[in-house]
Amino acid sequence: MQHLTEEQLVSHYYHDDDALDVEAHLGDCRDCTTQYETIGRVLALVTEAPVPDRGDDYGDQVWSRLRWKLGSQRRRRATWISGIAAAAALTIAFFAGHFWRAAHEVTTTAPMTASAPVVGAPTTVANVDHNDKILLLVVGDHLDNTERVLLEFANADPGKGLQIEQESRRAGELVAANRIYRQTASKQGNERIASVLADLEPVLIEISHAGTNLSKDELTELQKRIEAKGFLFKVRVISAQSSNGEKPPRNNNINADTL
Amino acid sequence: MTDLAAVSRARGGDADAFRDLVQRHSRTIFRVACRMTGNEHDADDVVQETFLRAYRQIEKFEERANFGTWLHRIAVNCSLDLLRSRTRHEKNRITDKDDEDGEMTREFESTDPQPDRLLLSAELKQHVLEALDRLSGNERTAFMLRHFEGMPVEEIGRTLGIQVSAAKHTIFRAVRKLRESLEPLVRKTQCNI
Repeated sequence: MQHLTEEQLVSHYYHDDDALDVEAHLGDCRDCTTQYETIGRVLALVTEAPVPDRGDDYGDQVWSRLRWKLGSQRRRRATWISGIAAAAALTIAFFAGHFWRAAHEVTTTAPMTASAPVVGAPTTVANVDHNDKILLLVVGDHLDNTERVLLEFANADPGKGLQIEQESRRAGELVAANRIYRQTASKQGNERIASVLADLEPVLIEISHAGTNLSKDELTELQKRIEAKGFLFKVRVISAQSSNGEKPPRNNNINADTL
Repeated sequence: MTDLAAVSRARGGDADAFRDLVQRHSRTIFRVACRMTGNEHDADDVVQETFLRAYRQIEKFEERANFGTWLHRIAVNCSLDLLRSRTRHEKNRITDKDDEDGEMTREFESTDPQPDRLLLSAELKQHVLEALDRLSGNERTAFMLRHFEGMPVEEIGRTLGIQVSAAKHTIFRAVRKLRESLEPLVRKTQCNI
């Protein structure tokens, strides 16, 4: 009689075979039955092997760590959608303001309106202020998300390297939004915000192209750049201004000290 | 509140409902992750990632399905992702395997005793953990998926990116290694009974 192979016995244990044939053989063959029972006992031992457990409060611990991340997920989803909507709104506001001003200037240059510049000037400034507020509002959310990405890197331990699949993906999404906001800020003449966003763009691109892992050296290099350029500081200042509804000065001299 | 009700509310943006789901399922998911990864620290990461993915994909959850089963499936996938990335890391650095094994075993050992853990004697428990640690990454994963998750061999093959026959052979190799390690123990236990 030809005995069953170990492979056949294992397959039978997991019901991956023609059960009837094997059962019939096992019924007749004592050796194979012994082998089969031994495999069963070994695997039962593995099944019974204890798995570490966590206490009753484990769910709370998980939630407390998770809450922050879910918050950023929610914000990310909201920002991505609202970013597109806001970018559209910004564009409309920009062109509406532009055409309104052009139309207004045409009507106010009529011969009878000697006081036209006086009437027109404050209205144009108000329009620009309004655009600034919209820009700040949207950029604030964007900067908030950017800050989280940068913080992950700034606080990472270079000794351990860093898995960045998630951050890399997030940075990729931020790059597109960053570009829209930078262009809008630039069109509105808000060089200060435009400049900060222009500084951030290469870092976000670099992170988004970094793949899934950063080596110790790559991480150290990136941390140095984040620190040297004062990115986190700049982001926080503009972010704080936007959340306070504060209008940033429209100067063109950008450096970390003035920010 | 049932799981389905909580899912429905979580979809509407109710964070408390999602917190209920996290609190309800965390321990089970931890045990799944621990079996798959063989490491408590990794299992904690898998639990986090599982709930993050569940949150992101909660719109895809079909209400006729069981939330626990759905979550379980995500946990297995997260564990596999982690094991794959760990394999990549390990390929890049040659380490003292004995040290690592020792560390892994100690991590398991550090858990507070629970009633079910006392079913096996300390020696037996140690042997099973060591036997599992002797399996290669693929062997362990294939074995865990077949033995604990009941995944069909064909699906294990797809999951690991290998042929069905190779998946079958990997499981067989794993069982053979476990048998080599644990059979003397089984015999000894039988003699004592």
